[in-house]
Amino acid sequence: MNPPNYESPLRSEFSDDPDMSELVTEYVGSMPQRLNSILSAYERCHREQLIRIVHQLKGSGGGYGFPQLTAAADKLEQRLLSLNDQEISMAGPELEGLIAVCNRMAA
Amino acid sequence: MSELKINTEERRHSILVVDDSEDVHRLLQARLRQENIDLYSALEGSKALEIAASESPSLILLDLDMPDMDGFEVLRHLKETAATRDIPVIVLSGLHSPADKVVAFDLGAVDYVTKPFDLMELRVRLRSAIRMSDLIEMLGKLAHIDGLTGLWNRAHFDERWAANIAENHRSDRPLCIALFDLDHFKSLNDTYGHPAGDAALQGFAKLIKREIRASDIPCRYGGEEFAIVMPGTTPQDGAIVCERIRQELAAMNWSAHPERKVTVSIGIAGADGAVEISAEQWLADTDKALYRAKKGGRDRVVTTNLSSGQTSEFTKAA
Repeated sequence: MNPPNYESPLRSEFSDDPDMSELVTEYVGSMPQRLNSILSAYERCHREQLIRIVHQLKGSGGGYGFPQLTAAADKLEQRLLSLNDQEISMAGPELEGLIAVCNRMAA
Repeated sequence: MSELKINTEERRHSILVVDDSEDVHRLLQARLRQENIDLYSALEGSKALEIAASESPSLILLDLDMPDMDGFEVLRHLKETAATRDIPVIVLSGLHSPADKVVAFDLGAVDYVTKPFDLMELRVRLRSAIRMSDLIEMLGKLAHIDGLTGLWNRAHFDERWAANIAENHRSDRPLCIALFDLDHFKSLNDTYGHPAGDAALQGFAKLIKREIRASDIPCRYGGEEFAIVMPGTTPQDGAIVCERIRQELAAMNWSAHPERKVTVSIGIAGADGAVEISAEQWLADTDKALYRAKKGGRDRVVTTNLSSGQTSEFTKAA
């Protein structure tokens, strides 16, 4: 059995939906900027801001056809909610999981 | 008259989406494009309260986890405000805990959908909530409708009359009310039977609905008595409308009993602007005018101007 290819592009479940294709393209195109905001908040230990961005990704990911994004954002959000501002670096593995999903997303 | 809309399918509905994520707004706009609805968007709670009060949307789709004012707070405000209390609210939230759902329902939400949402499920839940809200609104209106004539009933009259008096006191706008009493109605019933009496009541109701303006409020006051509240109308103008109604009724042919004429006596009391008269006294003055119309020989309009104290009369002989 071949191991899963984590680098393969992650296509939206709605990539063939004409109502959604433009929106999905925009959504995927906005990911680098969102990742920058996430990393910036993480590095500055702005926990509340980080939770807000991640919470929004959790709420929207599945709607745009990326349930994996919702799942990864949910894991990170739960982890952040269990930590205080000083412990934010302990959420590193969950953050990496979210970044990996974002980097694979494709319209 | 403000019409009762029984067919709820004809109405175009609107939904206010309240969510701090622009992604969710864009998504819902795309996903609900094919529904027959208008969408309003609010990215924050305070804006949502403003739009809800000014636009009275058919339904509100509300996120809970928002900065500044969260969804619970928005819901609490909506339910505490008379203008927005009856708008159904569906919570659309990423918060999945039973405790959050319990609080949302306790605060007055009608449904709770979790994110990420399934489009089909969201659509049917929206339709279901709007349908239920329409039915509740329709039942509320039916409770104010007279079954025989389709006019507003006495309960509605009492409510609207008090509101119009308050408006007159506050705004100095003219206000006029007319009371109608079908002449010799008992004799009509005794001679031709109750179906003929009912037909006369229905025919008269149809006539007055045709003759009045959209802002007037026609009511069956009780038995063979009717009332029309005419906001923004001076007693002189009200008398012209009522005289037309009187003449048309007197000229009407009743197909089942062409030999019988039906006439009406009408009492009017109105003011050209604000007058410090209570709702009860105003009604008593109208009743006096009606009494004079009856006493004077029926089939006539007697008008009292409460601003000047003058009384005038239209009759078939005038």
